[in-house]
Formats: sequence, C-alpha cells, structure tokens
Amino acid sequence: MHIPDGLLPAQVCLGGYGVTGLVTWYSLRQINRQPDPTEGIPKASLLAAAFFIASSIHIPIPPTSVHFVLNGLLGTLLGYYAFPAILIGLLFQAIAFGHGGLTTLGVNATIMGIPALIAYQIFQLRSHWGRSRDRRWSTGLFAFLAGSIGLGLAVLFFFGIVIGTIPAGLDVNTERAAVFGLMLAHIPLIVLEGIFTTMLALFLLRVKPELLTSTE
Amino acid sequence: MKLKVDEWVHLKSPIHRWEPKSKLVGLVALIFAFAGVKDWYLLPAMLGVTVGLYIASQLPLSFLMKRLRYPGFFLLGIVVLLPFCSGETVIWQWGALTLRWEGVQAMLLIVCRFLSIVTIGFVLLGTTPVLTLVKSMRSLGLPSLLADMTLLAYRYLFEIADSLATMKQAMRLRGFGSSGKSRTWLLPNRQELRGLASLAGTLLVRSYEQSERVYKAMRLRGYGMKNYPQKTSWKTVWREEWGDSSSQLSLILVLLLALGFVVAEIL
Repeated sequence: MHIPDGLLPAQVCLGGYGVTGLVTWYSLRQINRQPDPTEGIPKASLLAAAFFIASSIHIPIPPTSVHFVLNGLLGTLLGYYAFPAILIGLLFQAIAFGHGGLTTLGVNATIMGIPALIAYQIFQLRSHWGRSRDRRWSTGLFAFLAGSIGLGLAVLFFFGIVIGTIPAGLDVNTERAAVFGLMLAHIPLIVLEGIFTTMLALFLLRVKPELLTSTE
Repeated sequence: MKLKVDEWVHLKSPIHRWEPKSKLVGLVALIFAFAGVKDWYLLPAMLGVTVGLYIASQLPLSFLMKRLRYPGFFLLGIVVLLPFCSGETVIWQWGALTLRWEGVQAMLLIVCRFLSIVTIGFVLLGTTPVLTLVKSMRSLGLPSLLADMTLLAYRYLFEIADSLATMKQAMRLRGFGSSGKSRTWLLPNRQELRGLASLAGTLLVRSYEQSERVYKAMRLRGYGMKNYPQKTSWKTVWREEWGDSSSQLSLILVLLLALGFVVAEIL
C-alpha cells in the first residue's frame, strides 16, 4: 500500500515532504520535552525494526494471504516516536525492497504516519473510559479502534491521493465513486487489522504490560 | 526474509568514487527534476541520462531487474486501466473495450518517470553503503535523533529478521498451520490468527527487552553526552564535506542537468 515513484506529480511529492517535515518537527518537539529524550531512542528504533519485520507475517485467508500494516499498533506503542519510526521503516522498505519510493517517501509517511498518531490519541482515551471497568476490555476495545481507524484512515488517504492526482479524464463523480468503492472493498481488511491489533494488545497486556503503558 | 543491501558497493566505477554527500545532493536533485517531467519531448532525454548514469555506475543489469520486479508489477496494477478509462480520443475499439490516446500518453509518461527515478535511486543506493548515506544525510542537517534511530534500526533489522525466521520454524515444528482441518474460504482461522498475533507480540517483547539492554550499554559508553568538534581549517572541512574537485565538478554538472530539466519543463 505504498505509492511508487513516478506516479505522482512533483508538486504532490514535495507537498508530501513538506507535511512530513512539519509532522516530524512536531513529533521531535514533543519528544524533546520529555525528561530524557534519548531514553526512548533504542526502544523506538528496535520496535520500528520489529514492526517492519512483523508486517511481513502473512495471514492465510484461503485462497490467498494478507499481511498487516500495523501502523495503528505502532502509534499506540510508540506515541510520538511513531512518526519518525514509520519514516525510517518506509525508507528501509524503499531501499531494501523497492516498496514505495524515494520521491514518494514523504507522501507515504504522511499516509501511514498521521493515522498512527491519531491511533495513539485514540488509544490514550482508554484511561478515561476504562478506569472503573475491566482493564482487559478497555484495552481490547481501544486497540481495536486504534488498529482499524489507523488502517482505515491510511487506506482513505492512499486512494484519495492516488485517484485525485492521476491524470485528468476522470470526472469528479467517477473519482468519488471509485474512492468509495475501494474503501468498501477494504472494510473486511480494516476489521481484520482491528481484530489482530486487539489480539496483539491483549497478548502484550498479559506478557509485558509496561509496553502498553510506557507511552502514557 | 533476506535483506539485500550494500551488495555492489565494492565496485570502483566513477559513480562509486563520487563523494557520497555530493552524490546524494546531485542525484536527489535529479530525481526530483525527473518527478516534475510532464512533457513528451523530455522523455528521451530523461531516459538517456538514466541509462548513461547506470552504465557509468557499472552495476550489473540483473541488480536493476531484480529490484524493479516488485514495484514494477505494483505500478502496472495501478496504471494498466488508464488507457481504457481516461481520455476522449479513441484509437482502438473492440466491443466494450476502448483504447484512448490520452490514457496511453498518461500511462507512458508515468512508466518512463517511474523507470528513470527508480533506476537513479538504485544507482545511488547501489554505489553507496547505507551507513555512509545516513552519515551524509546527518551532515546535511538530518536531526541527530532521526539519524541515531535510523542507524540503530538498520543495525537490528537483520537480527530481528533472523529471530522471526527461528520462531516461525519453531512454530512449524510444533505443528502450526498443518491442522488437517478443511479451511473455509475467505475466512481466517481464529486459532491461527491468535497464534500469529502471539508470534508478532513475542517479536515485539523480545525487541523491547533487547532495546533496554542496548540502551544501558550505550549509556555506559557515554551515549547522550555532548561531544565537541575539533577545530580544523575551513578548507579541509570543505574538502572533507564535498570531496575532491572531480566530485564537486560532477555535483555541479548534475545540478545543472536537473535545473535544465526543470527549466525545459516550465518553458
């Protein structure tokens, strides 16, 4: 789900870099406000690498298989480090496999990274909601929301940008119908991503709960 | 999963010898100039420059072919419909299938841009070790936090990939994925999904625990302390930063070329 090189006009690529620069600057500012900003670096880098590898795990859905994006979960675990982590993950994907591209790195980081930050904010809401209720339930529910909204927004941005910038000839209604149709087609995957994120979050809650609370 | 980077960085072509920072600035400028190409008559020039640079880099053709396969298919999946649904001038018709001229033009433009940009990208990556590239980006103003994260992620990528492969093998040996039950189409198996979630979770927990040990080891070795640069004359600094005169000349030439493409596009 990465936009390859050559597809987008230069203005959109530069715009993507502009947005990425701005969001990175904001993330770094938030990180530098922490008492020791360097403390999170190894954790964020290792988890970024682990996410990069974990997203290569394929889930068999006969007759095919899918893999998860996990950007929602990345946001919930890494907080403000999520955006730089995604930027770096995408850079490696472009370098090592040719997924995505160098000119579209900014656009792709925006597509994946902003939903991750939103997912982080959604996941934080669980502390307001779930205080009186069972912790497992609130973690599960908000992990589902974070995972599915993280991917859902990314899919929306992706198709919006691809169809909106593809050369003329398509009228506005066709474009709108295409984005809408493609979004509908992705709903099962979005739900599946939410379920997988929930399962992963519940696993972490059982095995290593501080991973879920360390970004609070 | 096998990550193949830095496979051909040991060659000795002029592009390999080009000072990394000058090379990074020059080739990235060229890539962005190519991304802005919209005019037909610039396409042969763009492809010509690309082929010239690739030949000069002495990288084998198989390297490029292998790298182009995945993104190429992906791009084709996106643009293959363009000639049929975009544009007005019909050039060929067979039943409901109509080939339109504007769509064909748009597709060719995208494919040529894609080939040129990706090839130049691989010339840059194929001739420069990743670590040198990050160092160059850092001296160009990449925030140190980002540079540190990139280097650490790069360092542990291979190790985590190995550990995933080991865990997957362990799962298979314990009978994962061979339950023998008939599977429902289009529905993931709940137990399998749970197993894979635990696999991904274990990978994250292991990386997290490792990151804590790494952080402590780094702190003990003085990470996070300020280091002061040594004083050197600006001439040495300039030379160290941008390379010898041939590197600087190449940089100027490529920047002029990039500027040429941008100006030609505007005019």
